Amino acid sequence: MIIPRIYSIHDRAITIEFSKIIDEHINMQVIVWQQEIESNPFPGFIECVPAYSSLTIYFGADCNIVELKNELQQKINIVENTTHLNIAEKKQGVQPIEIPVCYDIEFGFDLPWLTTHLNMSIEDIIQLHIENIYRVYMIGFIPGFPYMGILPSKLEVPRKQNPSLKIPAGSIGIAGKQTGIYPTEIPGGWQIIGRTPLTLFNKLNKPACLLKAGDNVRFIAISKKEFDQLQ
Amino acid sequence: MSITILKPGISASIQDFGRWNYQKYGIPVGGVMDKISSSIANIICGNEVNEGLLELTLHGTEIVFNEDAYCCISGEGCNAYINEIKIEFNRLIKIKAFSILKTKPTRHGCRAYLAIDGGFQVNKIMDSASTYVASGIGGINGKNLTTGDIIHFANTINKSVDHSTIQIGEKGFGYDNWHINFNHQHKNSNHTSIDCVKGPEWNLFNESSQHTLFNTSFTVSNDSNRMGYRLEGNELSLIHKQEMLSSAVAIGIIQVTPKGQPIILMADAQTIGGYPRIARICSADISKIAQCRPSDVISFNQITEDESYTKLRELDKRIDQLKISIEMTNR
Repeated sequence: MIIPRIYSIHDRAITIEFSKIIDEHINMQVIVWQQEIESNPFPGFIECVPAYSSLTIYFGADCNIVELKNELQQKINIVENTTHLNIAEKKQGVQPIEIPVCYDIEFGFDLPWLTTHLNMSIEDIIQLHIENIYRVYMIGFIPGFPYMGILPSKLEVPRKQNPSLKIPAGSIGIAGKQTGIYPTEIPGGWQIIGRTPLTLFNKLNKPACLLKAGDNVRFIAISKKEFDQLQ
Repeated sequence: MSITILKPGISASIQDFGRWNYQKYGIPVGGVMDKISSSIANIICGNEVNEGLLELTLHGTEIVFNEDAYCCISGEGCNAYINEIKIEFNRLIKIKAFSILKTKPTRHGCRAYLAIDGGFQVNKIMDSASTYVASGIGGINGKNLTTGDIIHFANTINKSVDHSTIQIGEKGFGYDNWHINFNHQHKNSNHTSIDCVKGPEWNLFNESSQHTLFNTSFTVSNDSNRMGYRLEGNELSLIHKQEMLSSAVAIGIIQVTPKGQPIILMADAQTIGGYPRIARICSADISKIAQCRPSDVISFNQITEDESYTKLRELDKRIDQLKISIEMTNR
C-alpha cells in the first residue's frame, strides 16, 4: 500500500497525493475523500479540488495549517486500514451519463489523419471510441473541460505538434490515454474526432458544468441531422 | 449614481476576493492581485475587505464621477490626479460630481485600487464580481473595462463611517482629516525580495538549481499578466527529466517549465497544473509580487512553512486592527 503524501501548496491550501499514476481505483479514492470532507467539513473549510491522483483542500483564516495536516494524516492512517471507502464510491456514478456525438468529418476534422496514423478505418475508430465507458478523472484546463479515460490503447495518439488555433465548442478530442470535450472555443492540441451538441459549460447554469470528477460517461454516435435537432 | 470610464488605460477591471467553490469545475479563483492594497482601499471607504473595486494596472485610466462620491485609491504603479491635482493614496476622499480622476505613469509598482463607499453594483456570477476575461465571466460583460462603460454604485452612506466632516475644496474634492499608518507601500525600487517555502518537488531539482533559486535574482518578463509571472534568469533543471501528473494549484506556486523557466502562478491561473513546483511564495508576499512590473528584479529568500504561516497570520491581524481603528475613528 502506498502511503499518501500531504504537503502545502499555499499557506491556506494542502494537497493529499495518493499516488503519481493515472488509475481508476486511485481516482475513486480521491473522489471518496472529496465527498467525505465535503459532507463533514471542518471549521474553516472552503473547497476541495480533485485531480487524477490527488485532492487539494482550500481553507480560510480560522484554520491552522499545521493542525489540519496532522489531523488529516491521522484520519488517512485510520481509514486506509479499513475498506469502507471503496463501498461508498460504488454507490455513485453507476449509470453513465450519455453524450451524443456526431463523428462526421466536418466535426471530427482530424479523423482522416488518424486513419493513416492508426491504420484503421473511420468506422473502427468510432466503434472503439463508443464501446467504452469513460471515467471523468478531473475537470480543468478551462472551465468544464473533462479529462476522461482510459482510452483503448489502439486509439492512443500524440498531441498535435502545433496546436489548432480554434477548436469549436463541443469538440471531442483524444490524446494519449485520454479523451476530452472542449466546452468553449479555444486553441488546443488534442486530435478532434467529433462534436457533441450538448453544452458542457454555461456560467448561468447551476451547476455551471455538465460533468464532474467521478462521473462515468458513454458516447453515443448520432447523425448530422440528429446533431442539428439537438443543438 | 455612477462613474463612466473615459479611458481604461493599460488595463482596468472589476475585482473582489474571487470566485471560490468552483475550482473543481475548472473555474479559477481570480480576484484582486494585491489583496493588501485592495483591502486597505475598501476599509478606508468603510466597506467589507472583499467588496468589489477597480483594479487599475499601471497608468492611463480616466474616469468621470457622475455624482458626488466617497472613494479611496490605494496600491502602486501610478500617480493619481483629480481635476489635474495630484492626490494622496490611502485617504478617504469626497469627490464632487463631474470631477475626473486620471492615473499617470510612475516608476515603481504595478496596480492601484479604486474603492467607493458602498461598493460598485455589479452582477455577481458564481458569487463573485471578479472579471475573468479568459472565460468572459464577471465584471462588465466578462471583459476588462473599456471606454464608455458605466458602473453604478450604491446611494447609501455606509453606517459605520461618517464622512460629513469632509469639506470639498474649489478643485472638486477634499480629504477626511485622518491618515493611516500601515507601511504596505513597500516598494521604492524595482528590486523586490520575496519570502518563499520549498515546493512539493523541491527534491527533484538538482543542487545547482536549488542554489540558483535562492542565491541569484530573476527578472519579470514582458510575458507576465494576471495569470502568471514568467521570470528570466538562470535555468532551473530537474535531476532526471520526467513528466508529472497534473494536480490542483494555488496562487504563488513557482512552477518550472521543461525549458527551465520559472513561472509564478497568479490570480487567473488555470486550476490544474502539471509542471514541477520548486517553491511557493509565502501567501503574505503575493501582494509584493502583484506590484512587480515587467523588467523588475526579484530575489527569493527561503523561509520555513511555519514562518510563512505565521507571517500570513500577522498580516491578517494587522488588517483586522486597521479595520477596527478606522471604525473607531468614524464613530
